[in-house]
Amino acid sequence: MATKLILAKTPAEAVDAKTSSAAFIAGGTEVNRLGSDIAGEADVLISLKKCGALKSIERDAGYVTVGSMCTFQQIVESEWIPAYLKEAALFMASRTKRNMATIAGNIAANRSDSYLIPALTVAGAVIELCRKSGETVRVGIQEYLENKESYGNDLIVSVTVPEDIRLVSKRYANTAQSHAVLTMSAALTEEGIYMAGGVKNVGQLHFCDLEKAFNEDPDISEEAIIKMVRDCTGLHTEDDMFGSDAYKRYLIAVTAFDLHRKLKGKEV
Amino acid sequence: MAKQYKVVHCTVNGKEIEQVVDVRSSLTDMLRNDLHLTSVKKGCEVGECGACTVIINGEGFNSCIYLAVWAEGKEIWTLEGLTGPGGELSDIQQAFVDEGAIQCGFCTPGFIMTSWEIVNSGREYTDDELRKALSGHLCRCTGYENIFRAVKKTMLRHLGKYEEAELVNSQGITEYPEPMPFK
Repeated sequence: MATKLILAKTPAEAVDAKTSSAAFIAGGTEVNRLGSDIAGEADVLISLKKCGALKSIERDAGYVTVGSMCTFQQIVESEWIPAYLKEAALFMASRTKRNMATIAGNIAANRSDSYLIPALTVAGAVIELCRKSGETVRVGIQEYLENKESYGNDLIVSVTVPEDIRLVSKRYANTAQSHAVLTMSAALTEEGIYMAGGVKNVGQLHFCDLEKAFNEDPDISEEAIIKMVRDCTGLHTEDDMFGSDAYKRYLIAVTAFDLHRKLKGKEV
Repeated sequence: MAKQYKVVHCTVNGKEIEQVVDVRSSLTDMLRNDLHLTSVKKGCEVGECGACTVIINGEGFNSCIYLAVWAEGKEIWTLEGLTGPGGELSDIQQAFVDEGAIQCGFCTPGFIMTSWEIVNSGREYTDDELRKALSGHLCRCTGYENIFRAVKKTMLRHLGKYEEAELVNSQGITEYPEPMPFK
């Protein structure tokens, strides 16, 4: 259990203090909550609240760069943030929580019901990291999440997203405040459809087979998609309090179908 | 394991305070245990129920997941700060009483703090926006309609729309009178 708190004033100071037994604390909605694994495992917490440099939002050549400490509410209120990212931020229903939760905190926590990760993934977001050596590196969000351990001591400085991309998202939960069983996003790029989503208790997934199916046959039927997901052996959903394996598979299939139709401008 | 303590200087309900806190303490703990401001409720402690909501520098926050040390230099308001010197209720508190927006009362302080932020924003929220702005709070008793009505009426009164506030019906919908037929 953490007994020490460091109030870092700069990203370099924060990274310098980071060890394997320390954890960064940004907005605090994940680390400070009762029963948090992060707070339970870390000896030292490094608070980033005083790092003012991480709170800016900049716009340049079709891209928006969001400082890692920007809150969800700043994202919702900023005129520069693209609509798809605002929509994902508004999945967090509580305004008081939106005043605290940060974009990078949501990425770093990597929860299976993350509000932003699916949208950022299909948007091809690029993350800038500050390393102990003082250098900064830029990696794609998917690369960051897949190799999170190797970036464990690095600090997210900013997240860059494209302004002009056709992207739609959907989130399913019992109530606006509940954990979502599925959060899914789809984007239409020059290469075709791109789909990703978080399934509760499974993790963040990239739906390659669904992308392939939609790209090969844009008029594929809903029944074919439902059958495909139902029979998919690579998807490891299980029965739990959020729903049965069959329910989750059905939900992924119909959501993918609906998002695809929405991207094509059709009625859902 | 040695605990780490820090002195926090901030303003709470208009009074400057200096408080020694364990660095792991939440703002809820500091306000309730050290300053005895018990309107700040401990509900879920995960930032979901909104019962612990306080206003920090003009914005609503869940104090249960806000570290006390982050309050350094901040201006904090709790429900206790809304009442007058003789214990008179503020208009938003009175509206909650008048509209029957209270049952067990556990969620009420949090609701009122968010409502206070809304009614003092100087902005006219639509019904939809108002519902969304209040959605960070859970109430298991009232069914929300009375709370919504109390906030809407107070918001309209703050904007000088006294007559319109009286037209808000039991479902929270503003019922404008039928226009007189043209002769």
